[in-house]
Amino acid sequence: MVLKDVLTKEAKTAFMLGNEAIVRGALEADVKMVAFYPGAPTSEVLDTFSAALDEFDYQMEITSNEKVALEVCAGAAFSGVRSLTAMKSVGTNVASDILFVLGYTGVRGGLVIVMADDPHAHSSQSEEDGRFFAPNAYIPMLEPASPQEAKDMTKKAFEISERHRVPVIVRTVTRVNHQSGIVDLLEFNRKDFKKVKWNQLGEKYVTLGEVARQKKLKMLERTKALSEEFETSEFNLVAHADSDIGVITSSVSYLHVLEALKILGLQNKINILKLGTTYPLPKKLISNFIKKLKKVIVVEELSPYLEKEIYVLSKDINPNLTIFGKLSKTFSEAWEYNPDIVATGIALATGSKKPNYQTIILKAKELKNDLPDRYPTFCAGCPHRATFVALNQALKIQVSKGQNHYFANDIGCYSMWIYPPISHSDSSLCMGAGVGVANGLSHVIEERVVAISGDSTFFHAGIPALINAVHNGNKFTLFILDNSVTAMTGQQFNPSTEFIAGGRKGKKVLIENICKAIGVEFVEVVDSYDVKNNIEIFRRALDFDGLSVVISRRECALYGDRVKRRKGEPIVPFYVDKTLCKRPYVCLRTFYCPAYELDNDKQPMISRELCDGCSVCSKLCPLHSVKRVEVKK
Amino acid sequence: MSLNVFICGVGGQGLVLLTRVIGDACANSGKKIVTGEMYGLSQRSGAVSVHMRIGDDVFSPLIPIGQADIMIALEAMESLRYIEYLKKDGIILMNNRIMHPPIETSKIIDSKNKLEYFSLDQVITRLKKWTSNIAIVDALKLARESGNVRTENTVFLGCLSALKIFPVEEKYVKQSITDAVPKKTVDMNLKAFELGRKNAYDSLCTQVACREKT
Repeated sequence: MVLKDVLTKEAKTAFMLGNEAIVRGALEADVKMVAFYPGAPTSEVLDTFSAALDEFDYQMEITSNEKVALEVCAGAAFSGVRSLTAMKSVGTNVASDILFVLGYTGVRGGLVIVMADDPHAHSSQSEEDGRFFAPNAYIPMLEPASPQEAKDMTKKAFEISERHRVPVIVRTVTRVNHQSGIVDLLEFNRKDFKKVKWNQLGEKYVTLGEVARQKKLKMLERTKALSEEFETSEFNLVAHADSDIGVITSSVSYLHVLEALKILGLQNKINILKLGTTYPLPKKLISNFIKKLKKVIVVEELSPYLEKEIYVLSKDINPNLTIFGKLSKTFSEAWEYNPDIVATGIALATGSKKPNYQTIILKAKELKNDLPDRYPTFCAGCPHRATFVALNQALKIQVSKGQNHYFANDIGCYSMWIYPPISHSDSSLCMGAGVGVANGLSHVIEERVVAISGDSTFFHAGIPALINAVHNGNKFTLFILDNSVTAMTGQQFNPSTEFIAGGRKGKKVLIENICKAIGVEFVEVVDSYDVKNNIEIFRRALDFDGLSVVISRRECALYGDRVKRRKGEPIVPFYVDKTLCKRPYVCLRTFYCPAYELDNDKQPMISRELCDGCSVCSKLCPLHSVKRVEVKK
Repeated sequence: MSLNVFICGVGGQGLVLLTRVIGDACANSGKKIVTGEMYGLSQRSGAVSVHMRIGDDVFSPLIPIGQADIMIALEAMESLRYIEYLKKDGIILMNNRIMHPPIETSKIIDSKNKLEYFSLDQVITRLKKWTSNIAIVDALKLARESGNVRTENTVFLGCLSALKIFPVEEKYVKQSITDAVPKKTVDMNLKAFELGRKNAYDSLCTQVACREKT
């Protein structure tokens, strides 16, 4: 798509990413407040809202974490204003404290929470099944399979939310967020944004003790009403066939099922129930579907969420039903599905002939023998690479003096340090946990603990752990890699940037001021590119008998390139002077920059297309053979 | 009728834009399309892939194994990484450019230069065991000729639109290029498109069916 398709007020068909369709659905529903912390696979929801901000009058915040984002939206929804937030599965863990409370208090305006799970952990630390949040918090949940449904369900979710005075979860998976397709756009007319008079609303949002106990009863009634309503929801589809076999599925698995049936020649030969309302479940609909079946195949990614409910329902309605799913080992609880996995499972359950994928895969494997891996790595010009070069040198010196280390990595671009050829990290857990575990480790291990955090991660969840360290007198070293943006998810603004949503001017929060204010005694701010000087400063921080913080600052190279291009400034690359290079390979051994390759003489060579002109490698070459390309004026 | 195209390359080569252009061209010409895009970590230099499916009887955003009619590889080695998706005797449009990842270089240095880089010849020899319909494109050269080195992706759009099995008319593709790329680069992108198209006629259309030249 082009942004104009999201913005157009007319009805038309457009090619859209699932995430863009979510934005379009919210705009058609006249959303007035949105707030996000970025996280793959939802980041394009934030990006699209930010890019469209000048065209509309909704309020938008890029918040410091997901809990704050949900609280921002809850505040607006308490006042009757339609609000939306989107977060990745593990972000919901952070937001879950307020999520559970909202189940009790409810909301006045529509509040929609897009929650994206990441089966296969494509860009997450775990394969979490967020569906269980819904029954646990008594919050209704819709699950789209395609961009069209993502748009339709987002829009409808606002209506459900207001009618039942409860937030609604729209639960996606990576293959829905990052699926593009043709979407029918409807005309929309938006009302002007107006502030609300709180005192005239007569609303109250408290829950505790006896109040909570009474609200719990109300919550159960609400869920019963929703369950009734979902029995006839347009998002639950039944396709009948002349067969005693049925498939029950939801989310993107539904599309894999349709594809698999085509592969197996079973199109229109098996009954299908596709569930779009997955909490509360339409139990009568499911019971009617399974009543006369001999076999039911449950196709859902991750945990047997639907499957266990179907076991419970079948006990009364059809005790002889054979259920194929994860408990029967027809499908796995691990990793994401695709048409091939689903076809294999359905073939097993129906006794059809399995497609022969094994032969193809074995032949392909032969062709891939010795093919080099392509791990994610630091971009050319990435300031993190420079920080790590200096840190590695400093650590080496410390080791030679008898100081050994525990290296606590964290979530961000700097996580790449765990991949080859570097592969250096003792732990890499979840947002801010590097500083958190450093506290415990510093009590019990002999080695010096080195923790890493990015700017965004520090604001997100690192600050409480650092305050804890100061207060308890814990001794370790924290490196905060401040590249001004939340780089890994697409360089979104954060409190370390001077901009806020929509590129508007905001106030930059200085990390060193926070550290000093809470009482950290050793605080140094360095330029990440200044490798030579940084080695000594890093070493002093490691030697410091107490808590030391080093802030290594330089903007993300991709973000910097964009700023340069906008200003019309050139990116001037470097080259290796072959007459000077004696191949000590210092550049390659310490730097691992993707702009470097070996030429036919096995001399290092810099790709003009890839070099970012950061200059760091040129300062490291002992023979001074890396030079800047001369630009003709 | 449906057409499955598997697109792969390295982060930063413009796969997302390429997908966008084809998707918009489909939307504007009344064709159904669904894609599954994989670009999890938004960094440059990682492997990126897109499953693209055009037609009325496709459902999943992912191409089943062995069902891609065409593979577009913006980086040569990446074609092998996903080869199982390509039909036997499917068509490969492949960049002759290899971007050696840092890990490959570091292994060579560690071997004291005894190891060699994985070569374009090796890639081609292996691909030939899968299909003989391979077009090798010097996309970087053509992109430079167009006046903008970042138009490698558009060169491949040109190649693709020459093929008879690609169901979208050239004028729709050109229109969506014009809509999708920055204004200043429209002419260069259209030139890259033409160069790619011509390249396909010169190198591939002797083997596979192509659209009539316009």
